Amino acid sequence: MSKYELPKTFDYKDVNILKQFITETGKIIPARVTGVTASNQRKLTRHIKIARFLALIPYTDMHK
Amino acid sequence: MNKYEAVIILNPNLSNKLESFMKDFDSLLSDNSFNIIKTEDVGRRQLSYSINNHNKGHYLLFNLEGDPSKLIDIENKIKYNDSIIRHLFIVVKEHNGEDSHLLVESKTKKKEADSDDNHVEDIEIKKDNDAKKIKEVDDTDSNEAPNKAEDASVPDEEVKDE
Repeated sequence: MSKYELPKTFDYKDVNILKQFITETGKIIPARVTGVTASNQRKLTRHIKIARFLALIPYTDMHK
Repeated sequence: MNKYEAVIILNPNLSNKLESFMKDFDSLLSDNSFNIIKTEDVGRRQLSYSINNHNKGHYLLFNLEGDPSKLIDIENKIKYNDSIIRHLFIVVKEHNGEDSHLLVESKTKKKEADSDDNHVEDIEIKKDNDAKKIKEVDDTDSNEAPNKAEDASVPDEEVKDE
């Protein structure tokens, strides 16, 4: 479980935290794998999508 | 009045003209009665994917306060500014006064880069020392080598005697 650590507050700028919760291919890892609470998973999803838009994390590993 | 967080990614080639851009942007915001509470200049950063054929971007973060109806005017202006390759305004409940992770990271990277330069010098000096040592070792090796040959020849003779 120590692999996934989520602080109380985080946002789209905390790239290192968000990177724990995406796969190598850039997909968001399901909460049933990470053990994150449902409300935190919703927050994560929101912030990961913002970070993707700002090119902080990739959408996929297929970017040219 | 809403509280906003703005992220603006500038064309990395225009990093030199940052000051003039900041002036323009400040005046644009103040014309629309927006208050800048905090600015963070993250600097150049590798983009995760290329935007308009740019692989790097100059990130700027703002904490703003202003009227939602005016925000549309600001976004319309930004849309047609060629030096901005991407922008985002987010409504937040409270501004987090602390420095963002991005800014902290860029600062530490700069520090590391500075210390790396010093390391390189150290390594070069070490290399010089190592080279000297190797030379010394070579000298000793050449001295020992003939001795070894003699040693090797001795048992051969003994074998012959038997």
